[in-house]
Amino acid sequence: MRILAPTGFQARVAARKRIYWTPFLFLAPYLFLFVSLRLFPSLIGLAISFTNWSAVGVPQWVGLANYQALFVDPRFRDALTNTALFTAMAVPALVGLGLAFALFLNQPHRGRGLGRVAVFTPYVIMPTVVGVLWTWILEKDFGLLNVLLGRQIPWLVSPSWAMLGLVLAAVWSMVGYNTVLFLAGLQDIPTELYEAARIDGANAWRSFWSLTLPLLAPTAFLVLMLTIINTFQVFDLVYVMTSGGPGTSTLTMVQYVYTTAFQFFKFGYGSAVAMVMFVVLVIVALIQTRAYRRGLESIY
Amino acid sequence: MQIKHLPWTSLLLLVALLMAGCAAPVAPPSGEVAVEQPAATEGVVTLEFWGGWTGPDANTMQAIVDRYNAEHPNVRVNLSMQAWSPLFDAFIAASSAGSAPDILAMHPQELAQFVHLGLILPLDDIVANSEVIKPENYLENAWEGNKVNGKLYGIPLDLHMHGLFYNKAAFEKAGVTAPPSTPPLSRDEFMEMAKRLTIDANGKNAAEEGFDANNIVQYAINAHTNHHAFFQWWSLYNQLGGRLVSEDGKSCVMDLDKAAQAWQFLQDLVYVHKVAPQGQTDYPRDFLDGRTAMLVDGPWRIPQLEQAAAESGFQWGAAQYPNIFGGEFAVWGSGHNFTLPSKADPNKQAAAVAFLEWMAANSAEWAKSGQLPAFKAIMESEEFQQMEGRAPFIASMPYEKLFPATPKYNEIFASNAPTPMMVMAQRIMLEAADPATEVKTACEAISAILATP
Repeated sequence: MRILAPTGFQARVAARKRIYWTPFLFLAPYLFLFVSLRLFPSLIGLAISFTNWSAVGVPQWVGLANYQALFVDPRFRDALTNTALFTAMAVPALVGLGLAFALFLNQPHRGRGLGRVAVFTPYVIMPTVVGVLWTWILEKDFGLLNVLLGRQIPWLVSPSWAMLGLVLAAVWSMVGYNTVLFLAGLQDIPTELYEAARIDGANAWRSFWSLTLPLLAPTAFLVLMLTIINTFQVFDLVYVMTSGGPGTSTLTMVQYVYTTAFQFFKFGYGSAVAMVMFVVLVIVALIQTRAYRRGLESIY
Repeated sequence: MQIKHLPWTSLLLLVALLMAGCAAPVAPPSGEVAVEQPAATEGVVTLEFWGGWTGPDANTMQAIVDRYNAEHPNVRVNLSMQAWSPLFDAFIAASSAGSAPDILAMHPQELAQFVHLGLILPLDDIVANSEVIKPENYLENAWEGNKVNGKLYGIPLDLHMHGLFYNKAAFEKAGVTAPPSTPPLSRDEFMEMAKRLTIDANGKNAAEEGFDANNIVQYAINAHTNHHAFFQWWSLYNQLGGRLVSEDGKSCVMDLDKAAQAWQFLQDLVYVHKVAPQGQTDYPRDFLDGRTAMLVDGPWRIPQLEQAAAESGFQWGAAQYPNIFGGEFAVWGSGHNFTLPSKADPNKQAAAVAFLEWMAANSAEWAKSGQLPAFKAIMESEEFQQMEGRAPFIASMPYEKLFPATPKYNEIFASNAPTPMMVMAQRIMLEAADPATEVKTACEAISAILATP
């Protein structure tokens, strides 16, 4: 985001060599929570990943043994592929639909408020409730979706359908958040620009393509990034709806972390899985940030 | 806005928050049962008792504990309940923080892993002087099932195993004689019954000419696709005399032919004989709605069936799980027990043993939850023997086969994780995978798990 800060600001701050404490005070509550609940446990997790700790007793240092084991663990490979698959299926739907809903709900028409509420409500429902709800909706014989489709698709009980079932539930519950972010982005675009474009003779399609989309790019980048991170960490829905099954067809990374650490009491190994996941996410974020900068440069 | 003292104020605030964070005690599992605790009075021993019951049996257990508290003013038992899996997570967290409960309920097959973690006590010395808690008062396999490496770690409460429930109306309509409550059906008897109870839209059954397998309105029996699938496999595999874990506990010694044979029978019910539905999820509902005429399930289902009988006149009966392979009868089973987590307060230990002795003598109340008391005096009582639908389960008690005691129990058998057992069961029952290949894969995975220290 450095690119958006006015140039010269940092230089002036450096010149005055005066430290302002007030901003830190406002940040203190968050920093406290961040350090004590995120940073500190993460570092401990990193340390645990080099041990064979089972939550009780003294952890024994095993070096890179957990990481070596990961490479030949077929379950870990399943989890990695499934998570990638889930992300690949859910992200386009979440970003695309989020944008579509936002564009639709940004139009001045009747029922706009109701529409916004309807799109956002699923997001505030607890994921466990969403999971139970969708387990019913996707039920093979009497589920709402199959009744509507007039078919008997074995959504959650067939290894080839289960992932799609999860994606449906995830998109339904998470798309509202993206819609709100896109709506905020849309409302940040000054209306004068559209007026100017209209005067210049641009039609709706043209102003969408040349105004809305480029000006929405920072928002879209943020949404894309958050969506990838969120979908990569999918857990609650999987836990409630399939527990990673049938077989290993919906076993995701976080589900695997939970399984190894909290069900098999192998906290060292579970931490190693979590660390690998962290590295993957950092790499994704780096690639995206670079792509974003290049994208911005080509727009402005 | 600039205030000079702010940095110091914020620092103090931070320290205060940190201290507050550190001082917070480890909370007991978030109880659905929150009991008001009276102010600790002198001479009152408080016992923390954790269990994983969340169905109607939770109320039954709470009522038993309430009665004990009312009758024993000098003891206060605090019962906390939540689902088994999070309960054990909370137990491990509490144990490492030094605040383990005084009594923890679990299942015999789970003992070994907690013994391995050093979280529960051997009980031989603790109950050595008990007049109630001694081997001759309990069913032998219940008592022996609570031993790990020859030492007693659990005090049995009850047993449960698979049985066969049936819908009397469906049997009458099909003109089929209901199975006897005991002995178990043979393979031929069972298959004959299964075919005649599978009925298509034209009213023809699976044994008749012109039966339409694509239009079945009533299946004979349910087909588990969850962990109960490998519970059934365990019954059949044991009927063939199979073993799973080597003596030293380090490798899988599955007899692959027998293991595949047992799975083949279950798989064929769905894919070859078509007497059981594919991809079924809600077994009890399908049974109560008449979509299946029989249901393989445990005695914990009895209260629900009794309720359906009372509310809508549903007519049910119970029989033993069939003896498909004709050798000595065997059926998957488990039970509940009580353990005493490592704690060196002799006062509390004595109080806990006294509570468990009272519990054993009063487990008739618990039997209403459907479970079969492991305490002989209750199990053999006229009152219990007369309870509806219990007879076939009582007859199965001596033949119940527990899963092997291994510290790797969860890694091999956990039902809500991709364990070798779950993967094998679901590939065979949902994807019609070849049993011979799957049992081999599973056995290799189990060996790999057992070989890891």
